[in-house]
Amino acid sequence: MRDILELVLVLSIICLVAALSLAKVYDITKEPIALQKRLARLQTINAVLPPHDNEPDKNTVQVSLDAQGNEGGKVAARTADGSRTKTGAVLVYRGLKGDHVSGVAFEMKSLGFGGEVGVMIGLDPNGIIRGIEITSMNETPGLGARVAEPAFKQQFQGKSLNVTHFKVKKDGGDFDQVTGATITPRAVVQAVKNGLEFYQKHKESIIQ
Amino acid sequence: MTTLLRDLVNGIWKENPVFRLVLGMCSTLAITTQAKNAIGMGLAVTFVLVCSNVLISAMRSVIPDKVRLACFIVIVATFVTIVDLVMAGFFFELHKAMGIFIPLIVVNCIILGRAEAFASKNPILNSFLDGIGMGIGYTLAILIVGCIRELLGSGSVFGISVFGPRYIPFLLAVLPPGAFIALGLLLGFMNKVNKKLAM
Repeated sequence: MRDILELVLVLSIICLVAALSLAKVYDITKEPIALQKRLARLQTINAVLPPHDNEPDKNTVQVSLDAQGNEGGKVAARTADGSRTKTGAVLVYRGLKGDHVSGVAFEMKSLGFGGEVGVMIGLDPNGIIRGIEITSMNETPGLGARVAEPAFKQQFQGKSLNVTHFKVKKDGGDFDQVTGATITPRAVVQAVKNGLEFYQKHKESIIQ
Repeated sequence: MTTLLRDLVNGIWKENPVFRLVLGMCSTLAITTQAKNAIGMGLAVTFVLVCSNVLISAMRSVIPDKVRLACFIVIVATFVTIVDLVMAGFFFELHKAMGIFIPLIVVNCIILGRAEAFASKNPILNSFLDGIGMGIGYTLAILIVGCIRELLGSGSVFGISVFGPRYIPFLLAVLPPGAFIALGLLLGFMNKVNKKLAM
């Protein structure tokens, strides 16, 4: 009996001390971690937005898709801290120049080879692409993952829904695939297309 | 004095955790696609190893035999979580590159293995040196694997291009099978060297 008490006591004390020290470390690192996540996010947003003079992650519109119906495949959004929102809503970051909206950015997802591929899409107010960035993916390094290279991403600049055929060349569209990989580029193109359609549909409520 | 020195260098060659004991294979195979990741992982493991070795050695007379593994794991997990949080806060890029493999240090056999086989039976100073030695041994080993895979798979080392832009990457090297092949060849080479030394 005394044995067991000793075991319980020692293990409990060790766990207690461990928990207390972890709480302390968590407290110290909480703010730096939040800051790092925000900076990383802001960096992606700024990379795809036209010139602006505000902090786009502080000027956002949440467009709910449940009310109007979820169009064009899977659409998921992320909140400002990067965690996924539960509802089918898209968080749109707005870049302002003076008083008017100079561009918008939002994230779209579609299914790639190794899971979901997240694409941050930057548009000017007329729906012309200013840039895209890959936000998350789990694609094969050296093959599908090469969609994150500038050579692939730059193809999207200046494209818009009216004049461009949003498919990879293999499927008769306007976009080069990456050597040795078709599924990932296809997913990225699809995500961008979904994004443009989403913007076209909700333009008024986003820009207003 | 000589035993202290022996404990320190033991992990670097004679009982190198990767090449001789063949422990900690999960992280060795998974994160060695780049030399930079290997260094980050090596430092993280070394930190946890040294801290847990010292603490477990200091508490070796208090921890009851029957619950020693539970105690070890709690201690190791605490240090790993600290590393995870600190890295996320201050080395964000590196943390992102290593992803799940930082939390997985908890189940890295090297750490629990040293706690059980060494720290729980030896004085604090010896355990500290054992932790340093094993950490260096592990870091060097995965750094070698990382350099080879990055050199072949991306034509660079530490992100600095070696073969120039016209090099066509040998993709297999950065894919999972490449890790097994590189490690297997290195293990074979090490065994051969060791045999030569023994003769």
